[in-house]
Amino acid sequence: MKIKRENKVTDEIPTASMADVSFLLIVFFMITSTFAATRGLDFALPEQDDNPPVIEKEESTLIEVMPGGQLIVDGQPMALDGILDYLRPKLERNPLKPVIIRPDPASEYGYMVDVFDELRQGAEQGVEVKNISIPTQREIQAFWY
Amino acid sequence: MRLKASKSSQAVIPTATMADIAMLLIIFFLVTFQIEVDKSEVELPSTGIRVEVPKKSAYVSVTELGYIRVSSGEEMSVQVPGAEEVFSFASGLIARDPAKEFVLKADRNVPYRLVDELIDALKRANVRNVYLLSDEEARSSGG
Repeated sequence: MKIKRENKVTDEIPTASMADVSFLLIVFFMITSTFAATRGLDFALPEQDDNPPVIEKEESTLIEVMPGGQLIVDGQPMALDGILDYLRPKLERNPLKPVIIRPDPASEYGYMVDVFDELRQGAEQGVEVKNISIPTQREIQAFWY
Repeated sequence: MRLKASKSSQAVIPTATMADIAMLLIIFFLVTFQIEVDKSEVELPSTGIRVEVPKKSAYVSVTELGYIRVSSGEEMSVQVPGAEEVFSFASGLIARDPAKEFVLKADRNVPYRLVDELIDALKRANVRNVYLLSDEEARSSGG
């Protein structure tokens, strides 16, 4: 009698379905993930202080942001790209000169960010503004004179 | 002469490397995946300076129409009526983690009065680090 030879079993891990599973996971991630904005301007808030240091008006530079985006720097109308040139000699004399941004409550938030960003970018142009302050209306009413 | 039967070759697409590529893509998505906790539609301001917002930061968003939403960074945002609720929310988070970072996601056209109230609420809650979420500025705009 002829004995039939046993079929040889190959030792192989089936990987064909792994690609299917992997692609299902990829499709899941592609659908659920969004291109969200995850960058922004960092803004360190000062600690609460009931007796903040008094800064004389003459010692600081005041940038007022008016509705519509008009800027008034130390009482003079000024364009956004003129601020750093205006500040350069002042900061050379006093590198810690405070620069106060005071947006009008009726102005748009975007204009305040434009000014803040311009001041932060000054470091790249050799005009580093180290002391930027954006007081809130409550602080202005409490401490402004 | 006896002709040798030609061997029939099997038409097989090699799929072993496909799994490797797929796994690499999965690892990429796993590393970069971040759940968007706040889906408020806002037109962000554009800035030249943009630093990466830390993961799990708390979110305070305000739309052009003044709708305010908050999220601790771990769950989806919820709408709150005003700045006082933002103060309570931020105080609770700061009590648990004094170094908690906050992201302010505000529409560029929103009246500053609203943003001022929110910043004031965060200040009163002893929040130290706030990120003003922004889009990338087009360099050619020239300010």
